[in-house]
Amino acid sequence: MSNNYLHFWGVRGSYAAPFETHLRVGGNTSCVEITSDEHTLVCDAGTGIIPLGNELIKRKTRELLVILTHYHWDHVCGLPFFVPAFMTDWKISIFGPGNDRHDIEKHVSAQMKAPYFPVGTESWLARINYIGPEQEILRHGAMKITHKNVHHPGATYGYRVSLNGKTIIYISDNECKFIEKSVSKQRSELNHEEQTLYDDMVREEHQSELELIRNADILIHDAQYTTTDYNRKRGWGHSCYIDTVNMAIDAGVKTLYLYHHDPNYDDAAIDQIHQHALQIISERNSGMECHVAREGMRVDL
Amino acid sequence: MGTIAPTVVVVDNSPTVKKLFQRSIKDLGVELKIFDSAAESWDYLENNQPDLLFLSIILPDKNGLSLLRDLRKLDLHQNTSVIMVSSKDYAQDKLDADELGVVDFIAKPMPIQVITDAVIKYTLKSESE
Ligand SMILES: [Zn+2]
Ligand SMILES: [Zn+2]
Repeated sequence: MSNNYLHFWGVRGSYAAPFETHLRVGGNTSCVEITSDEHTLVCDAGTGIIPLGNELIKRKTRELLVILTHYHWDHVCGLPFFVPAFMTDWKISIFGPGNDRHDIEKHVSAQMKAPYFPVGTESWLARINYIGPEQEILRHGAMKITHKNVHHPGATYGYRVSLNGKTIIYISDNECKFIEKSVSKQRSELNHEEQTLYDDMVREEHQSELELIRNADILIHDAQYTTTDYNRKRGWGHSCYIDTVNMAIDAGVKTLYLYHHDPNYDDAAIDQIHQHALQIISERNSGMECHVAREGMRVDL
Repeated sequence: MGTIAPTVVVVDNSPTVKKLFQRSIKDLGVELKIFDSAAESWDYLENNQPDLLFLSIILPDKNGLSLLRDLRKLDLHQNTSVIMVSSKDYAQDKLDADELGVVDFIAKPMPIQVITDAVIKYTLKSESE
């Protein structure tokens, strides 16, 4: 019997939100485990990786691959408290954006420095293997992992994981339809020739955004803002959930998990987002499934 | 050797951006070379210094700023004039670009004239030399 599943350990964006009103969705920041038999892949190392670490040390396997989308706090701040890293019998591989493996090591280590943290990564007793960008395709057990640049401040990756014929796409931070919105804002300042060129560019960009998530069986995607908040926070690198839902429908995604929830939104606010997402899907006569990513949720693969 | 046309290199995989650049430099008498990816451009840039280099940030392979970081490590490109052209013009990207010594950062969508002006401004210097 094979044992393949995905587990959400942290679903918040920006910062942890351990508030009474938020706990049905969950308070920890970005971390998703994908396990295929004895191989475990961890997408991002937000505070969600802390309880995952406590769970991992009870298991038999002593090996792990961590893939980081980028180095903003909400995606790395669990690492200083990740117990397996401090144990001699563990081997942990880490991949993320960077020019070479030293670059990745530097970014991961930067948060563990005095006066911000009492010990550095030299206190990690596990065998840590930083994987450089020359490795275009990562393999971990039956999993094949590739990455693409996405629209977010600084070098940020989205990941495509293939496992037993299924495609799982993890894009925690990505501002959808950014150029489309920039063009429509500035359209009046462009002449006719430029308008035509930019309309083409918007179409092109839209196509490449769709390619990024095309035919995903499971898409875990940034859906941080409501329309009101998006309009206030345009250019912060996150999507309005309405754009996420529409893009996912257009790209033929089978199941969408709304992810990287804003810490200001309580359970009721996120329920409302979910209800509206379902309404959009039904109005568009789409058969796409859509769920709110909740901490503790486990999906069999 | 004042007769050699200045070389402008663009690294961007968008066919429309290609058209936009071709249109923008039409009457300037510069030689335009366009590459679709960081890897393709590297084969050329490793041995050639253009008078002006336009880089997009989201490329199909490498991030454009990572490409620039690699280029700056080569003696040949320590002083190459570079302009980032991207819709990804977040403060963090602009800061990275500044640290890598770019001469300008142009946010998409930009009018044709903005490219024309930039090419004139940054290739004129080498023409007069
Ligand atoms: Zn984030
Ligand atoms: Zn971020």
